Amino acid sequence: MKFGIFFELSVPRPFLPSNERLVYENALEQVRLADELGFSTAWAVEHHFLEEYSHCSAPELFLTACAMQTRNIRVGHGAVVCVPEMNHPIRVAERAAVLDLLSGGRLEFGTARSSTWTELAGFQVDPDHTKKTWDEFVRAIPKMWTEARYAHDGVCFSMPERAVLPKPLQRPHPPMWVTVTSPGTELDAAERGIGALGVATAGFAEQERRTREYHRRVQLCDPVGDAVNDRVATLNQLFCHEDIKEAARWGNGLVNAFGLANAHLLFTREAYPTRAYGLLGNLAAGASARKKVTEDPGVGAKLPEGSAIGDPERIIAIIKQWESIGIDEINFFLNALEVIPQVKVLDSMRLFAAEVMPHFADQAPAKSAPAPVSA
Amino acid sequence: MVQFSYELAGVDVEALLPPALHPTLPLLAQWLCWSVPRSPWGTFNLCMLRLSCRSGARPRLFLRRAVIDNMAAGAGLAAGWGFHVSEAQVSLDRHYDCAEVRVHEGGRTTLAARAVAPEPLSPSDLQFFSAMHGASLPQGLRLVQFDSAIEARRAERYRPVIQDYDAAAWGDGAIRPDYPVTAFGASADITLQPVRFLCLPDELAFTGTERVAPEPSNPKEID
Repeated sequence: MKFGIFFELSVPRPFLPSNERLVYENALEQVRLADELGFSTAWAVEHHFLEEYSHCSAPELFLTACAMQTRNIRVGHGAVVCVPEMNHPIRVAERAAVLDLLSGGRLEFGTARSSTWTELAGFQVDPDHTKKTWDEFVRAIPKMWTEARYAHDGVCFSMPERAVLPKPLQRPHPPMWVTVTSPGTELDAAERGIGALGVATAGFAEQERRTREYHRRVQLCDPVGDAVNDRVATLNQLFCHEDIKEAARWGNGLVNAFGLANAHLLFTREAYPTRAYGLLGNLAAGASARKKVTEDPGVGAKLPEGSAIGDPERIIAIIKQWESIGIDEINFFLNALEVIPQVKVLDSMRLFAAEVMPHFADQAPAKSAPAPVSA
Repeated sequence: MVQFSYELAGVDVEALLPPALHPTLPLLAQWLCWSVPRSPWGTFNLCMLRLSCRSGARPRLFLRRAVIDNMAAGAGLAAGWGFHVSEAQVSLDRHYDCAEVRVHEGGRTTLAARAVAPEPLSPSDLQFFSAMHGASLPQGLRLVQFDSAIEARRAERYRPVIQDYDAAAWGDGAIRPDYPVTAFGASADITLQPVRFLCLPDELAFTGTERVAPEPSNPKEID
């Protein structure tokens, strides 16, 4: 079991430059501490226009700063949006390769297709096409990294033969992931031999079913790259404190702040009827025309099942349960909208590292890319 | 039914929504027209202007204005749901390759919209959300949650084209369609459910929600 930290970089109003800088500075301090404590990876999302929820629109810059201030922790795109209106695939390959070089081969390369109408419409993206462009990106980019020269004649982009430079440091290339929100995306990951980077909260039973199916299918994959990444990561919240009531107080604040900010996103399916997006959101229940959402608006966000909030003993028990269903990595939100004071976030990380991490023997800084396909 | 969705731009959202509701970003305006051939009040055509928002953590639509061509049905909606409607000529015409909605009030067209370039969808691809509207009740002004169970049997997605729109007539000159999002059409059975939740208009839903009925009963079926 590996433990990572995951950043949306949410910013409370008012959006003063000083507030945005504080969020970035706090995040960098958390990454430096995570590096010292033995967390495996620092992940950063790519989002655009999502006021309050995420001001992390240039993750490659943030992750470069993370890499320059640390020695061991890996840096993860969680994830690059693979639609050409937002990111041309050549630029994605180039930027990722530079980040891998600068970090000394510590890049984890996550891919995604965006899930909000706010972002897709902002870049004039047709929601029906994002799965197709994502698929084209994840097949092309590893070839840009591994082939001396590359040419492409595709649907969402074409290019004459060129040398895409530089090449990443890791061989054959950085581990590839796809963010998994909608049910079924884990199968897309398995079929292509890339890791399933969970970014939606799911209970134990649902996660176990999806993880089992992923591991079964990835054995039969037709890999898009020269290496298979067969890991499953899930997303969680972390607040660790000796006093379980104190942990619940701050942890629930984190869950509520994140949940409320998330609930205010305008997910694609809410605005635009399409079968390309199966879920209403990454926290909301999948509502359909036949099962209308009529819940009590007075009910707030609930503590998701399996949250790593509590004293060390409780968190150890929870993580062992995640481990038992085949999860390889857990990535933690440490804060949301800065509702937890920075000093408490850092103390929570230290306590987790001292009391929880030792119970998971293989927890250590990740060392290398996954095995080549031929191995 | 046919619905046209547009993004709004440059609007003062705080002036368009009560304090209890929070806007989506971007704020969407939706013109939803029901053409109802059978109901407890007979045939009617209803057109509603609603804004996308959140009540607490729930996706909702806030009703800004509704017009109807059968005031008996309007009275039924008012009596059962505190739903305020104005009288107008409302028409919804669905053709093979388009759908058209027209609203005439006071001798002039206040909405003329065409849904073009149809693409078939599965009815399950559509999302329907509860709406909220303001109502004067004995206990004071409240937001009423308007729940309708919708069983869609056929659905199409269209490109929306608003040809004529009188922003002032729709109650607020600030609501002007800016960026087209989508349109959809559907044939459906609609069951209006009894009011279950009332919310204070100036308080967050987490603390300002009152449950007034346990579960739907005696629904009014229309289609």
